[in-house]
Amino acid sequence: MTPQPVLAVRGLDKSFGPVQVLHDVAFSAYAGEVTALVGDNGAGKSTLVKCLGGIHSIDAGEYLFDGKPVQVTSPREAAELGIEIVYQDLALCDNLDIVQNMFLGRERKSGLVLDEATMEEMAAKTLDGLSVRTVKSIRQLVSSLSGGQRQTVAIAKAVLWNSKVVILDEPTAALGVAQTAQVLELVRRLADNGLAVILISHNMNDVFAVSDRIAALYLGRMAAQVKASDVTHSQVVELITSGRSGELGLQNVNGVTA
Amino acid sequence: MMRAGPSQEEIRRHNLGVLLRHVHLDGPTSRAELTTRMGLNRSTIMALTADLTAAGLVREELPRETGRAGRPSLVVRPESARVYVLAFDIGVDRLVAARVGLGGVILDRREAIRERGAFVLEDVVGRLAAFTAQMLQKTRGDTVCVGVGVAFSGGVRSSDGVVRFSPNIGAVDIPLGEELERRLGLGVPVAVGNDANLGALAEQARGVGVGCRDLIYLHGDVGIGGGVIAAGQLLRGQGGYGGEVGHMVINSGGRPCGCGSRGCLEAEVGERALLEAAGRFGPQIGRDAVRAVVDAADRGDIVAQDALARVGDWLGLGVANLVNIFNPEIVIFGGMLREIYLGAAAQVRSRITTDVLHACRESLRLRTPVLGDDTTLVGAAELAFAQVLADPLDALARVGA
Repeated sequence: MTPQPVLAVRGLDKSFGPVQVLHDVAFSAYAGEVTALVGDNGAGKSTLVKCLGGIHSIDAGEYLFDGKPVQVTSPREAAELGIEIVYQDLALCDNLDIVQNMFLGRERKSGLVLDEATMEEMAAKTLDGLSVRTVKSIRQLVSSLSGGQRQTVAIAKAVLWNSKVVILDEPTAALGVAQTAQVLELVRRLADNGLAVILISHNMNDVFAVSDRIAALYLGRMAAQVKASDVTHSQVVELITSGRSGELGLQNVNGVTA
Repeated sequence: MMRAGPSQEEIRRHNLGVLLRHVHLDGPTSRAELTTRMGLNRSTIMALTADLTAAGLVREELPRETGRAGRPSLVVRPESARVYVLAFDIGVDRLVAARVGLGGVILDRREAIRERGAFVLEDVVGRLAAFTAQMLQKTRGDTVCVGVGVAFSGGVRSSDGVVRFSPNIGAVDIPLGEELERRLGLGVPVAVGNDANLGALAEQARGVGVGCRDLIYLHGDVGIGGGVIAAGQLLRGQGGYGGEVGHMVINSGGRPCGCGSRGCLEAEVGERALLEAAGRFGPQIGRDAVRAVVDAADRGDIVAQDALARVGDWLGLGVANLVNIFNPEIVIFGGMLREIYLGAAAQVRSRITTDVLHACRESLRLRTPVLGDDTTLVGAAELAFAQVLADPLDALARVGA
């Protein structure tokens, strides 16, 4: 029996002017699992994620959250459902400390003043729940953090709000090996704590290290969404580069039957 | 004559141990919660906590505001600052000593680099004893040491703590437990175990494998050790040498292994195999050398990439065999295997996909340790706590507290 996905889209189409970027895309993300979204440059990964996050509207298709059809037309609506996106540039403020960044724009107040104590406690609890031990003080300025620590703060910020789905766009792209390992372990822990995690990555080792499912986009179409334990590295590479691998994938690419 | 069953006193001692284990593993727990978890009534829990409090093992406190109506249930906390064990980790390249409080808190910790070369018992025991003296100097007068545990990178006889073999350290038939007990002179028994076996127990108790009854922990030091937990029990084997997965032959006639055989998992996946394949076998050794290969591969060095892929493929084959045999829920890659798994996961998992029965892999989880580089040390501490958790009052009496 397959469990019900937290988030699912079916038959999703998206065009920018005359250019159709996504064709009839189906995609699901499950609680407690990491779903990797892979594909070549221009395959439509970012566009799909932006549709999920309410940044782009969708032209056609069904968007289901917890099994119920929803309309997500703005990032705020996505956040209300519990969908958070961590972008590559992280959008952190260098001149603020970790707590201030995590609550930026959503500060807790007690009366007229900011409730620093509660915010500090919540931030500490969140970092602790993710077993983050690399950060010395949560009152450290973000400018003093390493790339891996910044990524950690950005991810912690995303899970602070009882999120259900966290989407990570190339979280290890700019990191060295030691920090990549820490971030991968953090990604895995998010899912093990019960979140549905969507991981965009070009690095096949990163994908295989933490993913439960792999969804491969090819030229705006979903070539296949498979369990990571059922595929090999070369099959995934074939799905990415040609949209099919044996029985898997698109059997009819660009109108040509292979 | 047939016994009628355990006496009331035996049941009480057992329950004391069970309650202490809850508080030790899960941290401060309310009496109400303990009542539910242990399935005993409130007055029994109260009597048990009173006994443990009188023995100085736990203390009871009012919780912080619960925000709920009614009189709050008292919270039972382990006396972490008072009751502790000594934990030692003897690896190929490092010696670690720690003082660990009840509840698993590392209170103090010392680490030294071990030079590779002949194993000199006197030297290793001397350094650990010196660390211990330093740490004990800093403890208060009312503290009590309830056990000593050692994790050793080699095969340890379970009956007496003698190290029987250790191809990568070079110790053969060394009475490590006995010698350490004599040198420490604390009047506390010293328990010795295989590092990977203890690592498996540690990750099951406090790490990524909490709640798992079928778990395999693989520990990469220079070679590869293994700890197999099946149906909740560590597979010890007859003499205590069970789980030596590093010496599972995966490549008949392959690379020579320190154990004298050829093509063992650790000969194909261990540190030396990786460094030689990467053309980097030289002065740089240990974790740093392994990290350097993974780093070079990440930066695009094709020789390093190829070496890592090859080693990852052999590792996948070894894991595939284990998964087919034991059908574990989780496989944990610890020590330097953490770097190798994360750097070569595509190869490792491709092997598992092709070589493991579908039913055995469909819900298999592959993870790295939550306890990081402390997994084996934490395992040593848990080994040291075993006595006091089995029979708290008896164990205290034996150490003269």
